[in-house]
Amino acid sequence: MSQDENTTSGDWPSALVEIIEDFTHAFDASERYEMLYEMAESVDELPTSEWTEQTRVHGCQSEAHVRGELNSEGTFHLRGGADSRIVQGLIAITATALEGLSIDEVVSFSPAFVEEMGLANALSPSRANGFLNMFKKVQSEAALMEE
Amino acid sequence: MMAWTPERWPTPSQLDVSAARIDFPILARTLPSGKPLVYLDNSATTQKPQQVIAAMSQYYENSNSNVHRAAHTLAAEATQFYEDAREKLRHWFSAEKSRVVFTSGTTEAINLVAHSWGRANLQRGDVVVLTEMEHHADIVPWQMLAEERGVELRWVPFDLETFELDMGAFDVAVEGASLVGVVHTSNVLGVRNPIEEMVKSAHAAGARVLIDAAQAAPHDRLGFDELGADFLAISAHKMGGPTAIGALLIAEDAFTEMQPFMGGGDMIREVHFDYSTFQENEHRFEAGTPRIAEAIGWGAALDWLAQWDTDSIHSHSLSLARFVAEELRAIPGMRVFGRQAEGDGAVVSFLHDSIHANDLGMMLDAKGFAVRTGHHCAQPLLRRFDIAATNRASFWLYNNEQEAQDFVDAVKDICQRFA
Repeated sequence: MSQDENTTSGDWPSALVEIIEDFTHAFDASERYEMLYEMAESVDELPTSEWTEQTRVHGCQSEAHVRGELNSEGTFHLRGGADSRIVQGLIAITATALEGLSIDEVVSFSPAFVEEMGLANALSPSRANGFLNMFKKVQSEAALMEE
Repeated sequence: MMAWTPERWPTPSQLDVSAARIDFPILARTLPSGKPLVYLDNSATTQKPQQVIAAMSQYYENSNSNVHRAAHTLAAEATQFYEDAREKLRHWFSAEKSRVVFTSGTTEAINLVAHSWGRANLQRGDVVVLTEMEHHADIVPWQMLAEERGVELRWVPFDLETFELDMGAFDVAVEGASLVGVVHTSNVLGVRNPIEEMVKSAHAAGARVLIDAAQAAPHDRLGFDELGADFLAISAHKMGGPTAIGALLIAEDAFTEMQPFMGGGDMIREVHFDYSTFQENEHRFEAGTPRIAEAIGWGAALDWLAQWDTDSIHSHSLSLARFVAEELRAIPGMRVFGRQAEGDGAVVSFLHDSIHANDLGMMLDAKGFAVRTGHHCAQPLLRRFDIAATNRASFWLYNNEQEAQDFVDAVKDICQRFA
């Protein structure tokens, strides 16, 4: 897929639009952390017994692990887990963004949504970087699934 | 220009927290969250009074020059101010009979002992005794030396309930040892170790003693000559001074056993193509252009601290830590690691059993509180408790009762919402 076919502003998945709107309109950081705590519950959890070097998200202060899978319709499904609930909440946002997309769509999903949808501003700079790291890790996993 | 003399310091008065606080511009700032800053990460680094910042600016604006061996006015001023700072340190820590070598901080001071004393005196089979409470800075240099030289490391355990070193184990370990390395006050547990007793036992066994006093120096003048330790490592930035400078205090006879480590300018007497000779004084261990502005800043920090009675700084900081530790212990699911007994550091390490330390750290930040989160450069210590991280609140002279109360309320609120 060429660069100009990438997912661009305006056509983000509606579930993602909803979740990020709620998130960026939160009263303050404390409320955002509460939302992330709730979202953490929605992740299809990758149990610690399945955490490996392969699943680890590097550059994270806490332990975070993600694994992409194909569901029965042949579309993308993300499982993940973290010892920090806040980080697991961020995995939930990633899962929401990519759920049900084709592998091709996952690989070409533009990480620009982090900036464009105001998520970067709502997180601290180091947290936003960590989020991008995780997002790109998921994409590179998906790229391997494509091969 | 007159050299600095101790008479320039005033008779100290009891700490006045409100008056002291005014001198720290950063304490008036607001965070991006809109919350006022409550700075409780003093064990990592303290804030700097405006007098320190001004002294460093003043030096760069008026006197900036390289030190030693120049005929011009600026060089003479810079040299005087730099050496004045050394004299202030010597006086502050009562090291009049000893040597004061500037380093980049406590870590470099300990590495200097490993390189200059260790490599000149330790052979295969020699023993270095360390405690399980050490900061990485007093572990890794010795592991490197052990690897290189075949030096044996012996570890003194501590009790997981009382947080006290096992002194019986220490007395056994020190037999036949060449060096003891011990942290004066733990940066995680706050515990002040029985340094005086350890120095005596170590010397009786023929071992030299290195004390990591990074956490003690902000509230204890240490009395180096009387203490009788051979080496003592400190950092300026944990006591109101700038980053990037610290010192190694060295007893005279240990000083004579050290070989130069880094070679270059300032540490030499003569250089020939086939050999060099070295300075005999502290400059022997200060190769290259030193940290001039930083030394001057540190001297200004001591000038500033000299107005307050050090014991009153200690008792004020410790009383805040005690209050916070007691309140946190009462929160369901909260564990507090460490002790706040007389003489201990003003440190409270804590961990909630269902709120991850990183999460709690971020939530506290969102409410304006700066605390440390992580392993505090003491991974082996935390492993003894079977944990990887804690949150740590640490207090200094400018923290007040209101901040301590607000902090406790914030932690309670977070625990109620998230546990």
